[in-house]
Amino acid sequence: MRRYLARRLLLLVPVLAGVSIVIFLVLHLSPGDPAEIMLGSQATKEDLTRLREQMGLNAPLPVQYVHWISQVLRGDLGRSLWMKRPVLPEVLQRLKATLLLTATALVLSTVVGLALGVASAAWPRSLLDRCSAAASLFGASMPSFWLGIVLMVVFALWLGWLPASGMFAPYGGGGAGDLLAHLVLPAVTLAAASVTIVARLTRSTMLEALGQDYIRTARAKGVTEGWVVLRHGLKNALIPIVTVIGVQAGYLLGGAVLTETVFAWPGVGTLMVQGILARDFPLVQGCVLVVALSFALINLGVDLLYAWLDPRIRYE
Amino acid sequence: MRIAMTNVSAVLALVTTLLLLIVVPGGAQPAGTLVVGLVAEPVNLDPAQVTDLNSNRVGRRVVETLVTFPDESTQIVPGLAESWTVSKDGLHYVFKLRKSVTFHDGTPLNAEAVKFSIERQINPEHPAAKIGKYPFANYFFGNVKAVEVLDPLTVEFVLKEPRASFLAVLTAGAASIVSPTAVRKHGADYPSNPVGTGPFKFVSWERGQKVVLEKNASYWRSPVKIERVIYRPIVEDQARLTELLTGAIDLIVSPPPDYVAQLESSGKVTMLKQVGAHVWYLGINNQKKPFDDKRVRQALNYAVNKDAIVRDVLKGTGTLSAGPVLPKTWGADSGLKAYPYDPERAKKLLAEAGYPSGFTTTLWVPESGSGMQAPVAMSTVIQSNLKAVGVNVQLQTMEWGAYLAKLRTKEQDLFALSWMAGNEDPDMVMYPLLHSSQWTPNGPNRALYKNDKFDELLHQARLTTDEKKRAELYRQAQRILIDDAPWIFVDHEIQTAAHAKRVQGFKLHPSFDLRVETISLK
Repeated sequence: MRRYLARRLLLLVPVLAGVSIVIFLVLHLSPGDPAEIMLGSQATKEDLTRLREQMGLNAPLPVQYVHWISQVLRGDLGRSLWMKRPVLPEVLQRLKATLLLTATALVLSTVVGLALGVASAAWPRSLLDRCSAAASLFGASMPSFWLGIVLMVVFALWLGWLPASGMFAPYGGGGAGDLLAHLVLPAVTLAAASVTIVARLTRSTMLEALGQDYIRTARAKGVTEGWVVLRHGLKNALIPIVTVIGVQAGYLLGGAVLTETVFAWPGVGTLMVQGILARDFPLVQGCVLVVALSFALINLGVDLLYAWLDPRIRYE
Repeated sequence: MRIAMTNVSAVLALVTTLLLLIVVPGGAQPAGTLVVGLVAEPVNLDPAQVTDLNSNRVGRRVVETLVTFPDESTQIVPGLAESWTVSKDGLHYVFKLRKSVTFHDGTPLNAEAVKFSIERQINPEHPAAKIGKYPFANYFFGNVKAVEVLDPLTVEFVLKEPRASFLAVLTAGAASIVSPTAVRKHGADYPSNPVGTGPFKFVSWERGQKVVLEKNASYWRSPVKIERVIYRPIVEDQARLTELLTGAIDLIVSPPPDYVAQLESSGKVTMLKQVGAHVWYLGINNQKKPFDDKRVRQALNYAVNKDAIVRDVLKGTGTLSAGPVLPKTWGADSGLKAYPYDPERAKKLLAEAGYPSGFTTTLWVPESGSGMQAPVAMSTVIQSNLKAVGVNVQLQTMEWGAYLAKLRTKEQDLFALSWMAGNEDPDMVMYPLLHSSQWTPNGPNRALYKNDKFDELLHQARLTTDEKKRAELYRQAQRILIDDAPWIFVDHEIQTAAHAKRVQGFKLHPSFDLRVETISLK
């Protein structure tokens, strides 16, 4: 187990190195130059040359990459070109908000997805099952930015129940209730697509599990139906579901970019969008690296969860 | 089965209860606090280091300039300097500073502070030169030879060449006077801790969430009537609008044009409009065939239906432009008429120039960009207008940075661009964009326009300090320009803002500044 963990952690190094090269190349080979964008149409040639020099953009790409990655290895993600502040504290500070949003959406999609899936499998072809199928189709097809705006218009503008954007009230807020109120709309928006995936997968694996011999045996022994479904059915159907939930965690981290932008949620996503628009290379690279690391760690956590769910699984 | 059902219901009940528990009434802000919704987060609060509007709109509440604008126009009035004199040769500007003005950190405003604020940008040896990047130092202060302290309250700027618009230069954000003590104390972190003499003091900045400023109780100009102002960055148009309509935000700028009519008729908010010192034009490469023929350029101007663009694409957020200078300002020529929409005239001119069946050309357009309004939609209308007179235009859209770089190749035929001078001095728009010394790649004259008479008039106007005489020179220059038609003149942006009814006394400023210090709350 310990050796397995060590090996998995070591494997993170090539993964992150790959991510860093890809993101560096994508950013530097896509059109647009931060100096050009920063100075806009009033730029003189001298100003541009000077700014590029100051930002270290005149060096060849491999030199720029080596310079950046050696900084990263020393735990320094560089300084943002626009904000002129160190990237790492900036990203870490925003990461808290993103993790909170993603975790809430994950809990929401797991709880609601499992409940819907189990219920659909327990009463297949019932009204509940059909409604859940229709809702799933809707949830999976709606782009999150559209759904977010619709929810905002309904619950913030028309009903006035929830705040439309931000993480806290701008003045006098800051409590847990304030945070929770601001969290509802973005979390529901972000969770919508995942709920449907978890629900549909739970339904199908549960249906398969409920058709097994041991279920019939349990029923024959007189175990109550609820116990059969949850204890014998769900527990055995969980492995593929946990895998999907793990993957969903990654999707939610990535999907948070759009949701955060719609709801002005102060997370890594809004920071990354700001960085991309300004071609703020160090900032975007830092954001992506931190998000990729979080995703890799979540996957590792999911893999470790298998052993707990199914004692037959061993790591070597 | 019963247990499973109960579990599902229990979960649903729990979720519903949670939702109901945390429902909060959308509330108005506490008395004295103004909340402003920005379209993007400021990046840096030192106006000498920024190039974006949002940073300037916040940063300029904290710091001030020697000369400034009144609340409704861009005419120059005293700011931190109560008076000034200009030498006959136009090379020496001596400013007398206001007495007993102090920075927010308690240190006095004096000539040393003025010298420090400017020299940190232009002198690479200056102790504060290394702590930041000053992107427009050369553009604004390239002509400054020295800043001299004559006595604690008198400061002199010595120029390399005379430039009558130098006072207009000193109204720019980059010319803000900062507290040298604060810059030395915070170093590279100064942009997150700005200290000036302005109507508001910097309090805090929670990244991604808000910037908080508090009133400067001892502001020298006039008492500030609100306690604090909070700026929130909200990128999504609908979210900004919803926050305004639910009362969570008091003021937003640039509501999406599609909503302007709806907001104007809404009883909940007040809608404001103000023409800004901005011009949107379709540049023509004056050196390239067939555009080197004046008749072709005039034909293009006649062919484009600018009224339709302003009405249908911009939905009233632009006003027709007859030239680069803002109408109704001192340098504008009131007799100047915009080219009317006259496709027949355009065809006739094209035929006279030897293109009876038109020609094919390309139009470069940025996808977006500072001051660009709706570049692709506007260019599409222009494309179809030109097709109607036989000019086949191929649209090439590009990313803003890549676009600006491409314009330096001088390969452009037609290109869409805008300019935000931020003030009304004709020199600040005509000279950089149209004087032949400013040809790209060295300057922003990307139309490669050159007319010796026009150049001479602009040069003479720079040497003339008398505003009336300058105005006459600029009027002559504009008449040449209209006839030469180096661009298709399209529009000047009308800025829009919407605010809650409790906001009183707010005006949009033609310089695009956002002067919340004029506001009182009901």
